Amino acid sequence: MESNLIVKKSEGMSLMDKLGILADAAKYDVSCSSSGVERKGDGTGIGNTVAGGICHSFGADGRCISLLKILFTNECIFDCKYCINRKSNDVPRASFTPDEICELTIQFYRRNYIEGLFLSSGILYSPTYTMELIYEAVYKLRTIYRFQGYIHVKAIPGADPELVQRLGLLADRMSVNLELPTAEGLKRLAPNKHRKNILTPMRQIQQGITQNKNELMVYKHAPSFVPAGQSTQMIIGATPENDYQIMTVAENLYKKFDLKRVYYSAFVSVNEDKELPAPAGGPPLLREHRLYQADWLLRFYGFEAEELLDEKRPNFNILLDPKADWALRHLELFPVEINRADYQTILRVPGIGVKSAQRIVRARRNGNLRFEDLKKIGVTLKRALYFITCNGKMMYPTKMEEDYITRNLISNKEKLPFDRDGMTYRQLSLFDDYKEAEWKNII
Amino acid sequence: MEEYYLICEDSLEGIFTGIYDAYLMRKSHEQIHICLGEEENLRLFAVYEQRITDEQKAAKVARTIEREFGVETYLAICRALASPEADKGEAVYKTVVAGFRMGNRKALMGNLADPYVHRVFELARFTANEAHFHVEFLRFQELENGILYSAIGPKNNLITFIVPHFADRLPLENFVIHDEIRNIYALHPAGKDWYLVYGKGQAEELLHRFSEGEKAYSELFCKFFHTIPIKERTNGALQRNMLPLRYRKYMTEFQSL
Repeated sequence: MESNLIVKKSEGMSLMDKLGILADAAKYDVSCSSSGVERKGDGTGIGNTVAGGICHSFGADGRCISLLKILFTNECIFDCKYCINRKSNDVPRASFTPDEICELTIQFYRRNYIEGLFLSSGILYSPTYTMELIYEAVYKLRTIYRFQGYIHVKAIPGADPELVQRLGLLADRMSVNLELPTAEGLKRLAPNKHRKNILTPMRQIQQGITQNKNELMVYKHAPSFVPAGQSTQMIIGATPENDYQIMTVAENLYKKFDLKRVYYSAFVSVNEDKELPAPAGGPPLLREHRLYQADWLLRFYGFEAEELLDEKRPNFNILLDPKADWALRHLELFPVEINRADYQTILRVPGIGVKSAQRIVRARRNGNLRFEDLKKIGVTLKRALYFITCNGKMMYPTKMEEDYITRNLISNKEKLPFDRDGMTYRQLSLFDDYKEAEWKNII
Repeated sequence: MEEYYLICEDSLEGIFTGIYDAYLMRKSHEQIHICLGEEENLRLFAVYEQRITDEQKAAKVARTIEREFGVETYLAICRALASPEADKGEAVYKTVVAGFRMGNRKALMGNLADPYVHRVFELARFTANEAHFHVEFLRFQELENGILYSAIGPKNNLITFIVPHFADRLPLENFVIHDEIRNIYALHPAGKDWYLVYGKGQAEELLHRFSEGEKAYSELFCKFFHTIPIKERTNGALQRNMLPLRYRKYMTEFQSL
């Protein structure tokens, strides 16, 4: 079916048209963060990086725009069923030249539109050939254009490992997409991809990073390899895995592959295919949101996937966030005394985030804290009040009873980061409060 | 008990001078207050004294704060004093007083149960947040002569907190950041240190003649900006939360709307 691959020559196409096609083709990749590495400019070029990353704009979908997110080309020899660029789709095709990519990056960067470049690509001829194109563009950008800002590139499974190694010395972050949470799902929807091929470069990058850290300890000026770490993403809701399976996969990626981030991408139906589900109310945004909340609990709150879900309850509660849900199942651990409990214990209280917990531990050195102090510190008292005492007293007389607290938590509306109009889960308007700042960090 | 109100100039130096003078009075700190400009309602049984800004006194106070309470606190106080709020002087003064009463002075800003420390914390956080928004959302336009120009309209006087970031990032560019509210220009000549210029008359007409490339690249970015969102996830409320409307006035991608 080679004739289905309609290759339109991109020569003669304007830069504007190419950018339109190749940004449109790249938009389903979730990762956009520019965080993980702090590097000052050396005064001889352009650019620096900031550890926390910088968002430069927010699109109409509320997602952050941090990097110039484009494909090198959207031509592809693969036929993954969920992908807009699969070879059996009749879509306009285009390719950049390395110089076009460099010019766009530099000119956008000097105007403070972007924080750097995110370069991915469809597979042109072969994985190795494609990686060489990417390498050429990134090499030019780093050496000829002296660009010292953030660069995130995709490692393409199946490409020559030596290329991955060389590219890693130029990029800040690399990522290999897991695509789907399980090998079975991958087999069904991405017939040209194999789980093993995906994990190979992921392992190689992990080992490269570890080895580089050791080198840097010995030689301070050794070139750094993927200093901002690696990330991956998986599509949620295209295949029938439950949340427990997904969280276990994520936990393994964090623990065994030292990933910096795992992104979850609510499945957006772009192709019609009998293998794909046709989600009624649009992408499963609430499910994606719960997974991110749980992901935060794994990375910053000291939780394990096993604590949040198990074989008997394999999916997250749609009415309650994972932390409140956990607390309600462990009422025997509460209430905790704010003026005495250790940091890790305070961190597990619903309504208290990382920042509030840190502030509590600092502020209580100067004397006992009262409820009004907690409010000033940023604790969401209407959620926390069921789980804490200040100087031995609860804020109001409260029954330590699961049903009672659940009812009260649910009757406070949760601030969800998406509208109720036109979105899924319209019926669920009763939610508890959720901290905006935490959501901001997700993106 | 008599109350003393020291009227200080609305600047970092002015307020630091006030703090110096307040300590010089050798009276209980509860009796002394710092205010900016004339009070609207004068109080009975209160003495109002105008204080003249003194660079040396201010420098001494700055050094003392940094030495006794650490850099973190010093920066928090500087950020708080960039605020337009009238009570900032009093909050900073009483925070310093609270600091000298603490055992571990370096932990001053952690003492959030103190109302003045909390106020300084709040003001400093607002300035820091707004400064961060400017690092994110500030836009440069290329003028005919190749200079990058940016106009901003911040609520806090934050220009000195953001220029170092851009100076490090764009060392070989000539750029200008213009605070339209306060009429302050930060100028960065390529390869040199940046500096501030106050007041009008900066060849206004030059600032509206853009280079050839400017139109092309701003249009390319608008194309990118409108292409990258996922239609199925459209969410104006989230976009508004993350990117407050007041910044859009200065942003390239919102000009055509």
